[in-house]
Amino acid sequence: MRRIGAALGVLLLLAACGADPDDAVVRDTRTPRPATSAGTEPTESTEADPQPDEATDSTDMGSGPLLVPEQFPTIQQAVDAAVPGDLILISPGTYHEAVNVTTDELTIRGLSRADVILDGEFELDNGIRVLGANGVAIENMTAMNFTKNGFFWTGVEGYRGSYLTAYRTGDYGVYAFDSSKGLLEHSYAAGSPDAGFYIGECYTCDAVIDDVISEHNGLGYSGTNSGGNLLIVNSTFRFNRAGIVPNSGSYELCYPERETTIVGNLVYSNNQADTPAIDVAILAMGNGILSAGGVRNLIERNRVWDHDKTGIGLVPFLEENPADDQPPQSEWGRSCAESKSDAPPDPATVPEVVLWDSHDNEVRGNALSDNREGDLAVASAGTDISTLGNCFADNDFTRSRPSAVESLAPCGDPVSGDWSADSLDVATWLVEAASRPPSVNFQTAKLPPIPELDEMPNAADAPADPATNMPPSVDLAAIEVPAKP
Amino acid sequence: MKKLGWGIGAVFAMTSALIGCGDDRTVVVSRIAEDGSTRVVALDNSFRAETMSVPAGTEVLFTNVGRNVHDVVPSGGSSDWGVEQGQFSPGASYRVTFTEPGLYPYYCSIHGNETAGMVGMIEVTS
Repeated sequence: MRRIGAALGVLLLLAACGADPDDAVVRDTRTPRPATSAGTEPTESTEADPQPDEATDSTDMGSGPLLVPEQFPTIQQAVDAAVPGDLILISPGTYHEAVNVTTDELTIRGLSRADVILDGEFELDNGIRVLGANGVAIENMTAMNFTKNGFFWTGVEGYRGSYLTAYRTGDYGVYAFDSSKGLLEHSYAAGSPDAGFYIGECYTCDAVIDDVISEHNGLGYSGTNSGGNLLIVNSTFRFNRAGIVPNSGSYELCYPERETTIVGNLVYSNNQADTPAIDVAILAMGNGILSAGGVRNLIERNRVWDHDKTGIGLVPFLEENPADDQPPQSEWGRSCAESKSDAPPDPATVPEVVLWDSHDNEVRGNALSDNREGDLAVASAGTDISTLGNCFADNDFTRSRPSAVESLAPCGDPVSGDWSADSLDVATWLVEAASRPPSVNFQTAKLPPIPELDEMPNAADAPADPATNMPPSVDLAAIEVPAKP
Repeated sequence: MKKLGWGIGAVFAMTSALIGCGDDRTVVVSRIAEDGSTRVVALDNSFRAETMSVPAGTEVLFTNVGRNVHDVVPSGGSSDWGVEQGQFSPGASYRVTFTEPGLYPYYCSIHGNETAGMVGMIEVTS
């Protein structure tokens, strides 16, 4: 546990923001009425048999797919009528909808990735949001101009997103939260201030990101407090403010971030100053793969180049006004399910600032070049970095911070040597962040046009394929360092 | 507990001020309930504790300690309590007193609905 004595800092902070704490407290003088009296069971409702839209009563539904708009004018109507196992096929067109899915094991498929477009017109929140419905697969479509997310699963076991395009969204592009057993593949995300792809608050996640492109976002990938059989493979992260940034923080449950495997990715030119960006993206700008307080991650056989900061950096995450202190190392194996039952901590025990160091990460066999502050780096803000247990081996690189990091911290052998030579002072990043280009409004940020992207094969004829056996196994050993494009 | 020097602390705080102003996310420290049993925190994206039991007459303090905007919406269409997104950005708090015994389910409409995602329940006992 580490606490920054920042009382002066907080004063400066409040003064700088001009915030009056009382302004942000809402005191409700109304009298709440309960939904049910204490001790009585909530009334159970019986779900009626799904009925097609009234206008479609004459249509023979049969046992085939539910067709939008031929049978159901809207995607939501088809989703509401569907039962587990159903396939919903959506014809080309622009749909101004924010779809909520609460039925298990649906397959929701566009017949054309490029031409089935959900457009939120900067008014609607999520393109498709899956709420607690297990095994829902979403395939072959585009979501754009949503104020929150393009595609969003939360609280599910079993999910899949295939051949998806998320473009110009106000939070995340493709977002899986508090969900496990998932696959995001053959997908593209651009123009989000947070991350193009995000998997967070899961341990173990049992999830795979495979063959995606993430560009012109604040972060290419973000994963807070996620991990455990979480693979990010064969994908491209480019032209974001920062590339792949797993991190720890107590603002989500299930801390710390741990055991993410990052293999065989192209990560380049993540210095993009004209994107929408959350504060962390501004702070992390110029880094390729950055473990910010991450634990036991494996970063292997990636090609990483052209970054103003580091190619692969293992750095601390400084969390101000945290919701909790760090758990002891003995609790890093707790599942998310266990942590959900924890009561809020006693505020008196919560430090003002928590420094989440990156521990026990393994960096192997990567090809790195032209990362201006160091191809490889490990740093802290007060901790002796030789004690953090990170290791480096078999990387192709020019400069590390500290120098000769593979000799200082070889994988499998004890650490040794002088850790002070050419060490990286990450505190300077905090200063630099203040002068970096600010976030650009996601609605108006300059973005490249959506590139030509693969369509799902046989979209019209392939059977329903709910996400019930996720994730697929990945042969990590067969993945080689990818060639430059 | 190891403390960093004033220099780094001040640098960090100033930096946060510069990049954090405008979204209220940095003013949480003075708004923490002294009685932990009446406090619900909104994290990203869950309420903690998700369920709690309090005696009638208790004032419950909801505080958004996440980095995202949330809201508190009573389930079942009730409109006699709850706080909207515009008043519950990061760092903001909401206080409400429950006088009538019963169950008070609620959710964040951004990250859940009445049955799934970011949901919570307060049981008020007599």
